Amino acid sequence: MQAPATRRESVRRGSGLGGFLGRRAIAGALLVVGITLVAFVLTHVVPGDPAAAALGQRAIEDPATVATFRAKYGLDDPLWKQYFTYLFGLLRGDFGISQQTRRPVLTDLVEYLPPTIELALVAIVISLVVGVALGTVAALKRDRWPDQLIRVVSLTGVSVPTFWLALTASLIFSVKLGWFSSTGQLDPGYPKPPTVTGLLLVDSLLDNDPFTFQMGLHHILLPALVLAAYTVGLITRFTRASVLEVLGNDYIRSAHAKGLPRRTVILRHVLRPAMVPIITVSGLAFGSLLSGTVLVESIFSWPGLGQYAYKSSLALDLPAVMGVSVIVAVIYVVINLVIDVLYGVIDPRIRIS
Amino acid sequence: MSSKQKAGSLALVVALAALGLSACNPTPKDSAGSGGTGGAAATKPLVIDTVFVLKSADPARNYEPTGNIVARALYDTLVSFKGADLKTPVPSIAQKWEQSADGLSWTFTLDPKAKFSDGSAVTSDDVVFSLNRVERVKGNPSFLADGLTVTAKGPESVEVKTAAYDPALLGKLASPSLGIINSKVAKAAGASDAKNAATADQAEAAFAKASMGSGPYVLDSFGLSTEVDLKVNPNYWGATKPTYQRVVIRNVDAAQQKNNVEKGESALALDLSPDQVASVGSGVVSSGVPSQYTFYLFTNANPAVNKWTANPDFQEAVRRGIDYQGLLELAGKGSRRAAGMVPVQFAGSLPDDKAPTFDAAAAKAALAKSGYDGSPIEISFPSDLTQNGVSFTDMSTRISADLNKIGIKTNLKGAPVATVLELARGGKQQVGVWLWGPDFPDSSNYLAFGPGGIVGGKRVNWKAGSNPALESIMKQAATEKDEAKRAALMEQFQEGLNQGPVMGLIQPAQVFLASKDLKNLTYNLVWTVNVAELG
Repeated sequence: MQAPATRRESVRRGSGLGGFLGRRAIAGALLVVGITLVAFVLTHVVPGDPAAAALGQRAIEDPATVATFRAKYGLDDPLWKQYFTYLFGLLRGDFGISQQTRRPVLTDLVEYLPPTIELALVAIVISLVVGVALGTVAALKRDRWPDQLIRVVSLTGVSVPTFWLALTASLIFSVKLGWFSSTGQLDPGYPKPPTVTGLLLVDSLLDNDPFTFQMGLHHILLPALVLAAYTVGLITRFTRASVLEVLGNDYIRSAHAKGLPRRTVILRHVLRPAMVPIITVSGLAFGSLLSGTVLVESIFSWPGLGQYAYKSSLALDLPAVMGVSVIVAVIYVVINLVIDVLYGVIDPRIRIS
Repeated sequence: MSSKQKAGSLALVVALAALGLSACNPTPKDSAGSGGTGGAAATKPLVIDTVFVLKSADPARNYEPTGNIVARALYDTLVSFKGADLKTPVPSIAQKWEQSADGLSWTFTLDPKAKFSDGSAVTSDDVVFSLNRVERVKGNPSFLADGLTVTAKGPESVEVKTAAYDPALLGKLASPSLGIINSKVAKAAGASDAKNAATADQAEAAFAKASMGSGPYVLDSFGLSTEVDLKVNPNYWGATKPTYQRVVIRNVDAAQQKNNVEKGESALALDLSPDQVASVGSGVVSSGVPSQYTFYLFTNANPAVNKWTANPDFQEAVRRGIDYQGLLELAGKGSRRAAGMVPVQFAGSLPDDKAPTFDAAAAKAALAKSGYDGSPIEISFPSDLTQNGVSFTDMSTRISADLNKIGIKTNLKGAPVATVLELARGGKQQVGVWLWGPDFPDSSNYLAFGPGGIVGGKRVNWKAGSNPALESIMKQAATEKDEAKRAALMEQFQEGLNQGPVMGLIQPAQVFLASKDLKNLTYNLVWTVNVAELG
């Protein structure tokens, strides 16, 4: 039990979970503001005029059309004013208007982010289940044929180019075998369930619509598997290394000596402490899945954030590029926070420190 | 087995079941289905795969290829074209029209049968509102209605006056951007045709929720990056009813389009290259025709930008030093050598035998005459742009190799289109490799490439007054009322163009890969395909 004086000190310092989360939230907010500044500067030093990129040759010849465009997007204001206008807008939840879609960027993000989150979630679940299982088996069968086979598989996973894998998988599993669909979230013309979360699989379940759920699963699995190829390889390698390190500890030998069943030793005494580095790499992998799905989204016609970011960048759609930058920054901040909290859940020593 | 182990096993079973479940084709609801097969056309949607170039469902703000397919299906225009033909306007909302003797005024008589999808009649007020709005919202297509004075002359008659004689007026009026909208519904949604419509008009979002036209289809759903769903207009007034009750236009990567058509998921793919359809499966058919785009090269005529590119002998060396046959091989089957800038589909296109030809010896001689000193010449191009399967990087690299062979040192300067376009429009590129698609279906569009034109003058720095003979032909072509004479003048113009700094290269192939059951597929340069004509 904590002494009253020490507890008061903890409260004063804000050293409880609430204080920890508060400090991290403030640091995260400052980080996001910093990222808006960096992103703003970078997007404005890129050569090219957004008006020239958005308007056709005939339209660019008409001064009234150009003036309308520039006024609408505040392009005539000095850069510092544009930045602060953007920043104050951001505080009110106003991300600006996309020059490409001509809709509020927030509306675009609400539309394009959930499909990417859903794809990344399915991919990370596959990666964790397969990667942890393969990594554990590889460690337990160290230097024997299962280990060598798994190492080859994981190395292949992290080495194969995503676009090649996507096209090949599509040809084999969609065209030749017909197991999966390779285009979009649903069959053409099939209505989406009413939007609640934006996650199609979840919304179809909430709508009590098993057909749509099944169809959604049919569409999401192939891109998710392709996306997971890299992270499976990554998590397998981290799990193997982490499990091997734990297996070398004295308490594992003690557990075996006590006569504990092998499964109990592995699940309780090996995998749990081995999870800390795995969680770290999984969190970062999830972040990279969210922000690095451009190729997979493009090939599988997945209407996500990756395609939106790519097209916005090509078109010098600065508000959209800024919006994506901010949202990706927030995602990374949140993921890092979740990882830190999970450390404490898994390893009490970290919680105490 | 402990409860935790049971839970783990259950989770595994659920995961495996999910995988197995998804591997079976789910049974679609009545509202869905796969791509068009003739016999099932009444129930199954026509599915078209294309890479979306789409910004708006509002015709007054739409000026993109995918948007044109959609707008053509939703919004009838005053006049139109049938199939691939772009030379003979046909009645649409206007059943007939008359031109005044001076050519400046047109009177259109509306078809009394014409009605919007809500059943209300199309009136002259709707026409006036629609055309004024296009001009005043100051969107990309506003130039199409620039300088028009549109006046209602009774409920079924509209007068359109132009500030100067415009031989392209009927072609412009057929543009999907000038689709006639239901003014009452549009006004209720925030549309405006007032002088300040650029800021006052707030209806763009409403057009993405419901269409307001009189076309053969109405909008079912509009996804900017996913798919656009159309359903047949129950009140369609036209004589020929569409075959397909539903049409789904999907945003699909070009790499997947062939797969989708071959496995029957889609009925038509629009973005394949000739190489991709070199071999296709049974049940599908491919076709390729010259597309709407003309790939061209220019050498900057301003000596301050580069003294060599401005030199007429150097320009001649470039023109004769390009192996055009090699470019055609790169572009694949169905592509065409661009004898001039005007595509073959328009009156006034230059015959093939008048195209400048590759002649390495002549090129070297012209280069020697120019006095070229071996300075590297920058070739700028949009490195991220691929059109009709032809990459600008590949094309520019090939041209660079050709020019190297005749002794011109080159420096390839590829950059994203958004970056390099500004340089081009500012007239700062030494040599540029670009494409041009028609802004409206008339050959007069290509007068832009002459001296002082928006391309010739601005990008190429070929200033007005620098070639009086050619500019005289341009003036005549812009005002000639006799179509045959105008076509001849456009040919003369292009022959003159072929002596200057602008060089037509190729028209790449527009390839279609379609289900064998899809009928009446024709390529229209403006709206690519008219979905209402497909059967």
